[in-house]
Amino acid sequence: MTPGLVPHLARFGRALRERGVGVSLSDEADGLTALTLVDLGDRDEVRRALRVALKIRPRDVAAFEEVFARLWRAGRAGEEPAPAVSANPPLQAPRLPGAPRSPAPGRPPESERAVEVTFPEGEEPGYSPEAVLRRKPFEEYSAADLLAMERLLARLALRLATRRSRRRVPARGRGEVDLRRSFRRALAHGGEFLSLARRARPIEEPRLVVLCDTSGSMDPHARFLLGFVLALRRVARSTEVFAFNTSLVRLTPFLRPGRIDLVLERLAAFVPDWSGGTRIGECLADFVAYDLDSTVNGRTVVLILSDGLDRGDVAPLAGAMRAIRGRARRVFWLNPLAGDARYEPTARAMAAALPYVDRLLPAHNLESLERLLPLLAA
Amino acid sequence: MRPEIAALSADMERLGYIADPAIATALFLAREMRRPLLIEGDAGVGKTEIAKVLARLEETELIRLQCYEGLDVSTALYEWNYQRQMLRLRIAADEGKGADEIEDLIFGRSYLLERPLLRAITRREGPAVLLIDEVDRADDGFEAFLLEVLSDFQVTIPELGTLRAEHVPYVVLTSNRSREIGDALRRRCLYLYIEHPTLEKEVRILHARVPGASVRLAEEIGRFMQALRRRRLSKAPGVAETLDWAQALLHLHSDHLDRETVAETLGCILKDQHDLRELAGSELDAVLVEAIG
Repeated sequence: MTPGLVPHLARFGRALRERGVGVSLSDEADGLTALTLVDLGDRDEVRRALRVALKIRPRDVAAFEEVFARLWRAGRAGEEPAPAVSANPPLQAPRLPGAPRSPAPGRPPESERAVEVTFPEGEEPGYSPEAVLRRKPFEEYSAADLLAMERLLARLALRLATRRSRRRVPARGRGEVDLRRSFRRALAHGGEFLSLARRARPIEEPRLVVLCDTSGSMDPHARFLLGFVLALRRVARSTEVFAFNTSLVRLTPFLRPGRIDLVLERLAAFVPDWSGGTRIGECLADFVAYDLDSTVNGRTVVLILSDGLDRGDVAPLAGAMRAIRGRARRVFWLNPLAGDARYEPTARAMAAALPYVDRLLPAHNLESLERLLPLLAA
Repeated sequence: MRPEIAALSADMERLGYIADPAIATALFLAREMRRPLLIEGDAGVGKTEIAKVLARLEETELIRLQCYEGLDVSTALYEWNYQRQMLRLRIAADEGKGADEIEDLIFGRSYLLERPLLRAITRREGPAVLLIDEVDRADDGFEAFLLEVLSDFQVTIPELGTLRAEHVPYVVLTSNRSREIGDALRRRCLYLYIEHPTLEKEVRILHARVPGASVRLAEEIGRFMQALRRRRLSKAPGVAETLDWAQALLHLHSDHLDRETVAETLGCILKDQHDLRELAGSELDAVLVEAIG
C-alpha cells in the first residue's frame, strides 16, 4: 500500500465534506483500497475508481469533479502535505431545548404589521356551504369559516389514515392465516391445530414534518395552513410542526387539543416576530443543523408552507433543501401564490429551492389542500 | 489503465455488453474488493444486464431477488414447507413419537424452502451472483435486514441455527432512485451511476446486440435516440428501448429511418401517452432532421 496516499485521500475527503458531499471515514478506507487496485498513473482511472469507492451520487458529481481537478494535481506533484489538524468548524453556541433560536441581528422585519388578526364582521356561523368554502380564498375567510373549516378538515384528515402497510404483522381474529405461527402453536398441542394464528396489514400512520412560514407576506394564509396542519395532527399524531420567519421555532410542544382559533392565538403569542420578515434560508439551515436528524427519516414527508418571497442569500436555502431532500421520503412545497394560473416560481428563493422539491403545490383554498391529502398518506 | 480492467472490458464486450471504462472499473473493483455493487441510473440503461454478464463471466448461477413493497423474509430468505411438515407430523403422531422428536424431524433442512438470499448464501458449487433488483422498491425495514445479510453473509433461522455462507456471493444491487437508498446500505456497497450512453457507445451497443442492423441504420437510430433524450420527455427511453426498436425496424426490413416507419414504430421507444403526443407532429420532423440531417 502506498503510505503517501493516506494523507492525500484524507485531505480529499475533507474537501468533499466541506462542499457538502457526505463522505465518511469508511468511504475513505474504501477509496484507499480501490486506489491500490488501479493504475495510479492513469488520472481518469483514479477518478473513476474514487467515484465508485466514495459512492458519489449524481447530484454530487459536479462538486466531486471540481475538488478532484483541484486536489489531484496538487497530490501528484507531491507537495502540500495535509495539515496536521483540520480547521475545526467554529463551535456553535449550545441551544437550550425548546428555546426559540435567537433571531439573527440586523435585517429588520420587512413589515411591521400588528400581531393580532381581525376577522371581517357580519358573517353568521354555518352560513358557508361546504362547496363555497372549499373554493374560497383564505384571505376572505371569516371567523365562522374557520370553524366550519375545522369540522370539514377533521373529516378530510381521516382519509390520510387509510393506507395499509404492505408488511404483515401478527393480528388477532382477522386477516389471513399465518402458517408459520399456526404451525408452531399446533406443535405445542401435539400437532393439533386448536387455533389458527393470523396476520394482517396494519394501518400506517403518516409521518409529517411541517415548516410553516409566518412572515408578513404569508399572513393571510399562515393561520389557515396551520389550522390545516392541526387537523392533520389528529390523524398523524407524530407530526412535527415548526414555524419560521426571522428565526425557527418548534411549535410541536405548544400544540394542544382545542379549538383551532384558540390554539392559533396561543401560537401567535409564542412565535417571535409573527408577521415580520423572512429569512427562509437561515431558518431552514437551522432546521437542518438541529432538528433534521431527529425528526425526518426515510418515511417522512416534509411540507414547507411558504410563498418563497425572501430577499436574502439563496445559497443557504439551496444547501438546506438539498439536505432535507436527501433524508425525507418526499418534500412538498405549498405555495399560496401557486393557486394563480399565471404564477411562475421565479422568486429567487423559490427558484433556488425548486430543484429539491418533489412537487410545488398550490395552497390558497381548501380544495387545493384536499388534493394534497392522498400525497401525504404513509 | 490497468490491464485487468481493459481485459474485463473486452470480456464483457465479447458477451455483448459494451462497458465504458466507468462500468468496467466499478465491476473490477467490486470483484477485487469483494463488495456488493450498488448500481443506479434511469430505467433501461443496462443495470440488470451487468449482473447477468457477471454471472456469465464467472460461469456461475445468477440468483435474482426482485424487490417490491412489502417484500418480507419469507419471500426473500426462507419459508418452511408446511404441507410436507404437516404430512410428516401426522405420520409421526401415528407412530407415537414424542414432541421433541417430532420437532427435530420436521424442522430439518429438507423441509426448508430456500428463497433467493438463502440460496445465494448456501450454494455449494462456488460463489453465485446475487442480483437484488430494484432495491428502492422494498421498504426501509427490508433494507435494514438486507444490510445485516450483506455484512455477515450469515442468517439465523430460529429452528435451525445460524447458516454461514460457504462462498460469499458476488452481489449486485440496482435502484431506479424512486427513493433514496439509506446511507448505511450505500456505505456497505461500491457505487456506480450509469448515464445514458453517448452516441458512439450506443452505436457500438447496437452493432453488438442487433448484428443484422446496417451501419447506416445503427448510426441513424443512435442519433435519433440522442436527439430524443435532449427533449423534455417524461420518460426518456433507455438502451433497452433502442434495442427493441432496432429489432422492430429489422423485422420491417428497414435499412434506414424514414418518417413513416418511425411514426408507426414510435411506440417501441416512447412508453408514455404524453410523450407520444408531444412528438407527433412537427417535433418529430425536428428530431428526424437532427438524426438524418
